Amino acid sequence: MPDPLIDTPTLEKIERLTIHWQKSLPGLVGGHNTSRFAGPGQEFLDHRHFHHGDDLRAVNWRVYLRLEKLFLKMFQLEPRIPVRILLDISKSMSAGAASKFDYARRLAAALCYVGLVRLDSICLQPFSARLHDAFTASGGRHRFQPAVNFLASLQPAGQTDFLASARQFISEYPQRGLLLVISDFLDEHDCEKPLQYLADFGHELMLVQVWADEDRQPPWEGELELEDAETGQRVELAFDAGARARYTAEFDEFCDRLERVALRNHGRYVGLSTSVPVEQAVFNSLVASGVLQ
Amino acid sequence: MNFLNLSLGELLGLTGAISAGVVALYLLDRSKRNQVVSTLRFWVSADVRTQLKHRRRIQQPWSLILELISLFLLLAAIAGPRLGIIDGSGRDHVLILDTSAWMGSRARQGTLLDEARASARAYLRSLPSRDRVMLVRADALATPATSFESQHAVIEEAIRESQPSASALNLEQALDYARIAQKQSKRPGEIVFAGAGRVPEEQATLDWLPPNLRVLPVGTPQENVGLRKVGLRRSPSQPDTWDIFVVVRNYGARPHDVDLALQFGKSPAGEKRFSLRPGSEETAAFVYKTRVAGYLEARLNIRDAFPQDDRALIELPAQAALRVIVYSKEPQLLRPLIAANPQVQAAFDSPDQYNPAANADVVVLDRFAPPSPPRVNSIWIEPPASGSPVPVVQTKTAVRLERWRDETELGQNLRTQDAVLESSELFQPAAGDISVAEAAAGPLIVARQDKDLKLVVFGFHPGRGAMKYQLATPLLMENILRWIAPVAFRQWEVQAGTVGIVRVPVEKGTDPASVRVLDQNQRPLPFTIQDDTLQFFSGAPGNVSVLMGPRETVYSLTLPDVAEAVWTPPASVRRGVPRASLEGSATRDLWPWLALLGGLGLLVDWLLYGRSRVFRLRASQMVSPLSSRIAAKVGWRRQERKAS
Repeated sequence: MPDPLIDTPTLEKIERLTIHWQKSLPGLVGGHNTSRFAGPGQEFLDHRHFHHGDDLRAVNWRVYLRLEKLFLKMFQLEPRIPVRILLDISKSMSAGAASKFDYARRLAAALCYVGLVRLDSICLQPFSARLHDAFTASGGRHRFQPAVNFLASLQPAGQTDFLASARQFISEYPQRGLLLVISDFLDEHDCEKPLQYLADFGHELMLVQVWADEDRQPPWEGELELEDAETGQRVELAFDAGARARYTAEFDEFCDRLERVALRNHGRYVGLSTSVPVEQAVFNSLVASGVLQ
Repeated sequence: MNFLNLSLGELLGLTGAISAGVVALYLLDRSKRNQVVSTLRFWVSADVRTQLKHRRRIQQPWSLILELISLFLLLAAIAGPRLGIIDGSGRDHVLILDTSAWMGSRARQGTLLDEARASARAYLRSLPSRDRVMLVRADALATPATSFESQHAVIEEAIRESQPSASALNLEQALDYARIAQKQSKRPGEIVFAGAGRVPEEQATLDWLPPNLRVLPVGTPQENVGLRKVGLRRSPSQPDTWDIFVVVRNYGARPHDVDLALQFGKSPAGEKRFSLRPGSEETAAFVYKTRVAGYLEARLNIRDAFPQDDRALIELPAQAALRVIVYSKEPQLLRPLIAANPQVQAAFDSPDQYNPAANADVVVLDRFAPPSPPRVNSIWIEPPASGSPVPVVQTKTAVRLERWRDETELGQNLRTQDAVLESSELFQPAAGDISVAEAAAGPLIVARQDKDLKLVVFGFHPGRGAMKYQLATPLLMENILRWIAPVAFRQWEVQAGTVGIVRVPVEKGTDPASVRVLDQNQRPLPFTIQDDTLQFFSGAPGNVSVLMGPRETVYSLTLPDVAEAVWTPPASVRRGVPRASLEGSATRDLWPWLALLGGLGLLVDWLLYGRSRVFRLRASQMVSPLSSRIAAKVGWRRQERKAS
């Protein structure tokens, strides 16, 4: 029996939420977010001249009686776009006392449940140095248990390579949609450029950065021999309060850069510490960011 | 300098062991820590990486040195160092605290024992702490309350818990005990007596006194009149009458007029006024008639220093009479023999009214055999041969009573001369039967005991013929009734006395096996019989019964034993509390200072090198220039960190 990841009371609380995206993305009807694209919908969008082949049911007959010209009523499309969750399963996610990997899985499960309840199409895409096997589900909460089983079966391994993963993602998922990236974004190389690629391709970015407290403020002092969880590199150093302050400043600067990438591309950014409970993160941080409403 | 708790070797050994542990823990705490982190990018970019090519194991030597010095100071404080020349051989003192009954008497403040306690505590405080003290509580027995104890708080607690007993002081025994205890300890010291010294007259002047005796006198001669003894016994002629005698003594130095009042069941039973000269005793006798049980109270109406001996309460037992029912057609023949006994309550009925379950202690069947045997003790007189409980061999006339079996309890003290019975039955006794009187042809009187039932069978009538005028006849009946119901004929005697040694005069040649001495819980007490005097000891108030044959004496040992004399120590004996010993003041305890310095050192180490950020930052700013200068002087190169 896999770990339920999220208990039932929490699921009952979050099922009233909805995944919200800002961009107008094309897609089939059936979604719940408005789009600037016209199509079958309920909300009036605009008029245009009637062309041959247009549906006569959309002709505005009142205008025709007055002006004796055929105008077609256009309606706002509420497309059903794919929600993809890129979940970082590299080894850095399991380093330290508090496992970011578990936290990220629980967060992904919560977002998956919210999407499934609103009949969104959800794709769970784990990645490290490349994309791993994905899990796609849509059509109701009864598909949540397979999603949980999928998440529970994941194991942290490998190095993070955002660039390779982004390229592979773009090639495998040509349809634009909402892209939720749950990761610590700790790549040996720069992760901002790959994220920019994804945004430039047309995806709406939602960056969820997960960190452990010791990632931001290491509690140790004195002589340290540090080992990189992904690369295995070692370094010896002396650490004290001053060094800790500089370290934290560097970390915060990195977070700011990530946020700037997201905002610059009309996306959103949420930084979450593993000390914050998942339920609190969902209802406070994610709702405040607007990705959940 | 010397150490009170540890030797120098123990101190150094402990310091070495703890220092080794501290260094090990220090190296473990300050050694390099291996840690797996998510990424190294921030560590590198934050420029905190420092390659340690010549890494020292000890990062902060000043911290280690400070900790080791502080721990040594604390250990030295535990060792208890003292500055100054000390005579290491302490002394052992025996403190005898008088806890006799007299110490409960009133004093100026509280009781005499309170004053003695205060003197004993003052003496204790005057001793140096290395001196050991044994506390002995002295009354009739010398009882050690503590062993030789160097913790004077324990002695003070034992002094506080001491209470006056009910017995008189045996000072000679207490001093002897103290001498032996001090001899066994093999250390010099004093024997200190704290108390009033009220002793029996024979101890008023002691032949021998220990040369190291010190006396802490308390109290002053006080006026006291008290009950010395209260005795009660049943009158031999009138069993329902108590003969009461009371002994009152004036222990004081002035004459006193005292009223004595007796009460039985809160009813007046007698009173008398005494005029007592100093040191004199007077006895008053009373007679009080009662059969019922109850409490007799003797009270002296006087307010003196020792009220405990002004009142005595004695429980009197009920007088139980022996109930006898005589079934006879000629009761006049037996009435003088049975009803004349004052301890017998006799009833006479005809044989027709015979009841086998009669409410009596003894049934007398005169010349008839009942259809069913009685369920109580019985005396059968000339029973028909067919119904006799003891088989009748034959009935003869002109039978000569040859002898009484005076070796038995029933035939004791019986004599007849040329007694010829007109007619008598001769019995065939069974095994275990007792033959009381015999003719040449066989037993004339036979007694039998079957479990709890006793019976006596007469072959002749004691109230007729030749036996009617014999002196042995009433004595025989007395013996029979006493054998059947000994409790009814027991002679009760109650004495209210003082606890301690009780001496009881006994008859000459009394067999100790026939005597029992029982306490109020019916447990036997040890006793001796010497020179026709039974002697036992009771250390606690209570009742003690002495059973000697038909005589039972109950000693109600509730009166406190007040000794008559006051022991006056000779002038050569040291008195009072000595001045505080100068030996103790010549030394000075160093442990508080060492403990303070050790604690201060640990505090400074924590402030400078501890993990508390707030204090550490502030303190390091203040002290770092100083420590850097010192480090430079001793040649240590301290690695400078960018943060500082």
